[in-house]
Amino acid sequence: MQVETHIEKLTTIFREVFDDQSIVLNDEMTANDIGSWDSLSHMLMINQVENVFSIKFSLREINKLKNVGVLIRLIESKSTN
Amino acid sequence: MTFTSFGFLIFFPVVILVYYCLPGKYRGWFLLLASYYFYINLKPVYALLLAGITLTTYAFTLSIARAKTDKGRKSLLVLDIIVTLLPLFFFKYYNFVNTGVYSLLDSFGIRWPLPEISFILPIGISFYTFMALGYAIDVYHEEIKPEKDLSVVALFLSFFPVVLSGPIERATNMFPQFKGRPRFDYDKVVKGFQLMLWGYFMKLVVANRIAILVHVIFRDVDHSTGSSLFLGVVLYPIQVYADLGGYSLIAIGAAAVMGIDVMQNFNRPFFATSMSQFWRRWHISLISWLTDYIYTPLSFNFRKYGMWGTVIALMLTFLISGVWHGAALTFIFWGLLQGSFLSIEAVTTKQRRSFFKKYNLTTKGWFVFVSCVFTYLLFAFSELFCGPIDSIGKAFFIIEKIFSNFISPIYFGNPSTIIFSLLGILILFLVEWQMEYLPEGFPFFNNKNWLVRKLSYAILIIIILLIGVFDGGQFIYFQF
Repeated sequence: MQVETHIEKLTTIFREVFDDQSIVLNDEMTANDIGSWDSLSHMLMINQVENVFSIKFSLREINKLKNVGVLIRLIESKSTN
Repeated sequence: MTFTSFGFLIFFPVVILVYYCLPGKYRGWFLLLASYYFYINLKPVYALLLAGITLTTYAFTLSIARAKTDKGRKSLLVLDIIVTLLPLFFFKYYNFVNTGVYSLLDSFGIRWPLPEISFILPIGISFYTFMALGYAIDVYHEEIKPEKDLSVVALFLSFFPVVLSGPIERATNMFPQFKGRPRFDYDKVVKGFQLMLWGYFMKLVVANRIAILVHVIFRDVDHSTGSSLFLGVVLYPIQVYADLGGYSLIAIGAAAVMGIDVMQNFNRPFFATSMSQFWRRWHISLISWLTDYIYTPLSFNFRKYGMWGTVIALMLTFLISGVWHGAALTFIFWGLLQGSFLSIEAVTTKQRRSFFKKYNLTTKGWFVFVSCVFTYLLFAFSELFCGPIDSIGKAFFIIEKIFSNFISPIYFGNPSTIIFSLLGILILFLVEWQMEYLPEGFPFFNNKNWLVRKLSYAILIIIILLIGVFDGGQFIYFQF
């Protein structure tokens, strides 16, 4: 249930930041899959995720984000803690 | 010795022959010796500097990894960054800072002159310094384990295809290849030679030919007409692209012949439809380095300021890019211009996307064409501040003259110069247009027909020999 809520919230964030209501997240999704997801909009998304989930990322964690699946698991681990 | 010198025509085949005759475990050492031989040929004493930065990078990266606390790791990284940047500062920025500090103190009535230095900038220092810094930062972030084999670190920083003008490579890409002892791969060797051939075409036929005209136009701006200056503005980015792009292809090709993959440095930049897209296609190795090691940390630290944090990070990143290019106000202004272009695009992204979507513009050929031309001209005018002109005032004078004196006779110089320039540009444009829009179109170099392939090579070599300019001076980016 918690995981579903996380994905729903993250989907809302992605759709708002990247201005694309058709985005449907999956674990393997990367910036290559969303046209407006680039280095300029990436940090806007990260900031929004931190605000919505009340968590804080480190730069090292940001650099190790390979896909949406890794982001979701990171959010889960920080939300649990 | 550089890629366009006669010595390289002897050096490279000999290196390749010995490289593939040697057992795998000796190839790395041989490449290291060959790379230092290549670099020493330029100026022996500067090889000592390269060796010095290699040793400090090697020592610091091992120390960073061994440090027991994060504070200790960070302190060592900061120290490494200072030590690595010191030679670059000394050779490239000392006089600029000295002059600036002197002027500032003088305005307060304080006279404190420090001696000026007149050492020639070691070729490649801006490039291998960034490579060394990137490696150390990657070790700090645990992206890569520190390399215990000094010869691998030394080869990474001195690798002769890239040491002079990039591409600015990453340890994460190069270390595994150097240690992996690549085998002879016929297809890769052929691809490598193809890239080198095309690189030589770009440099000798396009860049060096255009340089003749651009040099004359910008040498005496007072007497050049507005239309001639406009011609110079329009041609200069093509010259730079063919020069650095050509160099990059020769470097990438030479590495490929040895079985080593080096990153792409350009991706048909003049087909970009926005400045954001342009900077994803132009000097990719430098921009990706700046993105990973400057922009990302900055935008991370400023993220709570939302879009304004992005803007600040962009401006600072491109300010650093400008400073990297040169120690002069023109380069700083150039960097701030690029940062401004990208900031404006970032701030207006949603509005522009909504407008384009409303009228379905991005699918319309005329809109794509106009966008490419607009982007090109924006970059072309900004490029005035990145090399060809030595003062901001003079650059603005040129821009003002172009608009006030546009209807005027154009200086073409020797007819052969403009004819061969246009021919070279046309060939370059047609090939890149096909790659951009018809990637499945008729292949020349990769045609299945043996005769088509050989004819393509032969015709290109003949074109290079007939209309190439072989005494056209050094690669532009040797000055950076």
